[in-house]
Amino acid sequence: MERPSSHIKKEEGVTSGLTLEQLDQDGAIQEGIADLYGNSRADFLRKAVVGGGVLIAALSAPPRVEAAAASDVRIFQFGLNFEYLQSAFYTETERLGTVAEMAARKALWARTLGAHERAHVAIIKKLLGPAAGKRPSFNFGGNTETEDRFTRTAVAMEDLTTALLTGLTPKLQDQGLAAAAFSLMTVEARHAAWARHLVGALPVASAFDEPKSLDEVDRIVASTRFISTLRVRTTTTRNPRFTG
Amino acid sequence: MLPAYGLKTFAICKRMAAQSEVCGNCGFFPRGLNGGRISDDLKAPAGEDEGLGTVGVPALASRSDLLKRAAIAGGAAVAGGLFIAGHPKVAASAPSREQDVRILNYLLRLEYVLAAFYETAAAEGQLAGEIQQFVSVVGGHERDHVALLQRLLGDDANPEPSVDFGDATNNPNKVAATARKLEETASAAYIGQGANVTKRAMIDVARITSVEARHAAWIADILQRDPAPAAADSAKSPSEVSAALRRAGVSISG
Repeated sequence: MERPSSHIKKEEGVTSGLTLEQLDQDGAIQEGIADLYGNSRADFLRKAVVGGGVLIAALSAPPRVEAAAASDVRIFQFGLNFEYLQSAFYTETERLGTVAEMAARKALWARTLGAHERAHVAIIKKLLGPAAGKRPSFNFGGNTETEDRFTRTAVAMEDLTTALLTGLTPKLQDQGLAAAAFSLMTVEARHAAWARHLVGALPVASAFDEPKSLDEVDRIVASTRFISTLRVRTTTTRNPRFTG
Repeated sequence: MLPAYGLKTFAICKRMAAQSEVCGNCGFFPRGLNGGRISDDLKAPAGEDEGLGTVGVPALASRSDLLKRAAIAGGAAVAGGLFIAGHPKVAASAPSREQDVRILNYLLRLEYVLAAFYETAAAEGQLAGEIQQFVSVVGGHERDHVALLQRLLGDDANPEPSVDFGDATNNPNKVAATARKLEETASAAYIGQGANVTKRAMIDVARITSVEARHAAWIADILQRDPAPAAADSAKSPSEVSAALRRAGVSISG
């Protein structure tokens, strides 16, 4: 079999300069959006994301973040990057076959969380409109390759997201955006409890979740080195430093 | 669902801006916004689905915000006009200390019910294993929530109502099934009111909301049901919360 050449032919409908990995990343987003509107392969995934679709429908007449306070825009931009990170993490784990090797109930958990995080990307992108940032590239350093490392990372990630949303939601100036944030916060909290239950930890460690500030979460995410670069634009003459 | 523009939208916004109550919703959006079970022939495949309930209850803070707010409030126009039977209404207008008192007392009432449920279940439910652990841990959390809400309300805190759970606390299966209904209801109630309190109160309301959602996921997983059924959770209005409590076999007096 002929190896794919570095030059991608135009007639394949592929824009020259894009790597396959980048196309796959786009595919993940497309899949998330398809799920939202009921075209997914598996029924449970469609059901899993239907709430996201309803939220979008409810918000479709513009509450756009662009009309909101600059601090609200910054919060949602940060939130979008965090959802990009999560959706990439679950999507990569599915793609590498790590999820397929899991027991059925655990695989359901991993796939549901992936579908939700992809839906959250779509929801927040829609809220941000033109203010939405591009998807960064990620390097999960092997944490998507084994069930054990994936699970431990997922538990930490979902608890962190819950802490982020409980911390940021009261900082939103716009009441409608805060209402939307509450609808997402509870989903992340459910993910965290579900994850903890799967690994035999107490799903609810305390009567009150401990909120974290944007800066605190930013430092934690930076310490993981999961975000490798901002995505290289296709018009650049430089090669991407990381394309996985 | 309110469209962003239109006569109906302007009429409702005008009334809301004047701090009048607006009840009911129009039937613009096919999924149905306030329903519990709704039939939806646009889905593939067509079938029944959960209604959205109300989407938060953002208020109209100023005239300049009218359209943006209306778009968000959508069919949630608005829990503000609704009553919990025999109790002060929970109105959705611009956050204020007065509105905080109404909303926090509504949430306190819910927490009283939850705490009483777990206390009764622990005494009468013949519990063992994980459901016993759940009732013990979660019961403790609900008592802590009661205490925090009482502290936020100070002298304005309402007293505990008397609650009857019928036979819902008689055995472990009923306790688990009822706990799931109560936790789902509590989570949706908090989503419905979270954005309506002042920022100061919201800091605490948010960290209770996520815990109620964790409870809901935990009991769902114990029961082998879906712990996270949607990418975005729905809100419940106070009247929907009352109805859900009645359906769960809970009767409240006082």
